[in-house]
Amino acid sequence: MLEELKAFKKLGVRHILLQILNFATVIASGLMIWKGLGVLTNSESPIVVVLSGSMEPAFYRGDILFLTNPSNQRYKTGDITVYKIPGAEIPIVHRVLETHDVSPKKQASTRSKSLVPHQRLLTKGDNNYVDDIELYQGLDWLERKHIVGKVRGFLPYVGYVTIAMNDFPQLKYALLGTLGLLALIQRE
Amino acid sequence: MHSILSRINNASAFLSSCMMALLLAISLSSFILTESPTGQVAISSIKVVSSHARRYSSKKQDLAFVHFNLTADLTPLFHWNTKQLFLYLEAEYENSKGVKNEVVIWDRIVRRKEDANIKFAGKNSYMFRDISTTFKNSASANYTLKYNIMPYVGLLTYGEAGKTTEEIAFPATQSRL
Repeated sequence: MLEELKAFKKLGVRHILLQILNFATVIASGLMIWKGLGVLTNSESPIVVVLSGSMEPAFYRGDILFLTNPSNQRYKTGDITVYKIPGAEIPIVHRVLETHDVSPKKQASTRSKSLVPHQRLLTKGDNNYVDDIELYQGLDWLERKHIVGKVRGFLPYVGYVTIAMNDFPQLKYALLGTLGLLALIQRE
Repeated sequence: MHSILSRINNASAFLSSCMMALLLAISLSSFILTESPTGQVAISSIKVVSSHARRYSSKKQDLAFVHFNLTADLTPLFHWNTKQLFLYLEAEYENSKGVKNEVVIWDRIVRRKEDANIKFAGKNSYMFRDISTTFKNSASANYTLKYNIMPYVGLLTYGEAGKTTEEIAFPATQSRL
């Protein structure tokens, strides 16, 4: 251990600074990829982890979903959406049960010719008995602005790491700590 | 450097890239293996009843009761990357205000190939109501049996297994069933 410390001292300030710079690059490129994906898919969060069992047996806790949200495409019944109601903390992954393509109000259409279709949606979890009206916090229908994206791809289990880190914060700190230490100590 | 740490690092990196390649190959194989299924949808009767649907609104509104027969052979959709099918019957129509509607009135999750030969006769399991509270002057509706293949890994795909041969009109509203 002492020798390790000596070796660490020998590295000098320059090396430590370089390591910090490397570490920052890794974090920055991660962030860039995430935000870049967000721009490409038009979704604020293009990759989500399933947190509840309401879509079982298709999606279990810890599965990873890949989303897109093409702005000019309408949502269809059977699409699985991720939506976030204002006031609710957690985004919900449920399937679209009803779509109603209402025409936009006159004022809105003259002010901005948006290509985003106006739709009213009703959703339901495959594993739930009833639709989601109770989850809409007083709204009668889900609208386009509430929707984060449509599920396009599926990868099982991998997201469980984040759930484990949320449930056991010590794990998160331990992981971050060791990663940081390794990044600083590692030579070359 | 041949420390234990770098060996572990190399081995796990190699394993995970092999794993990713394998998963990618499996998810791509779905496109080759999928064949299109066949099925029929027949509507036996429709009734529209004015009633209170307490769950949505305390006001009186029209509820449609649709009886139908489904037959479909969905076994070709099952291959090694099919986790389950989500099968649903959708009504598609335009109401008197020009709003285009798609409403799922029945669904079923199919998890095994043995259960994929669908024969069903019954009525809608979800409440079928219009956004304007009435089906009066609505255009006739198309009923389509659709499916969603949910894979073990990869992309979700959608398709159509059957459709009514002609559009079916909504009957006049009855005061009681």
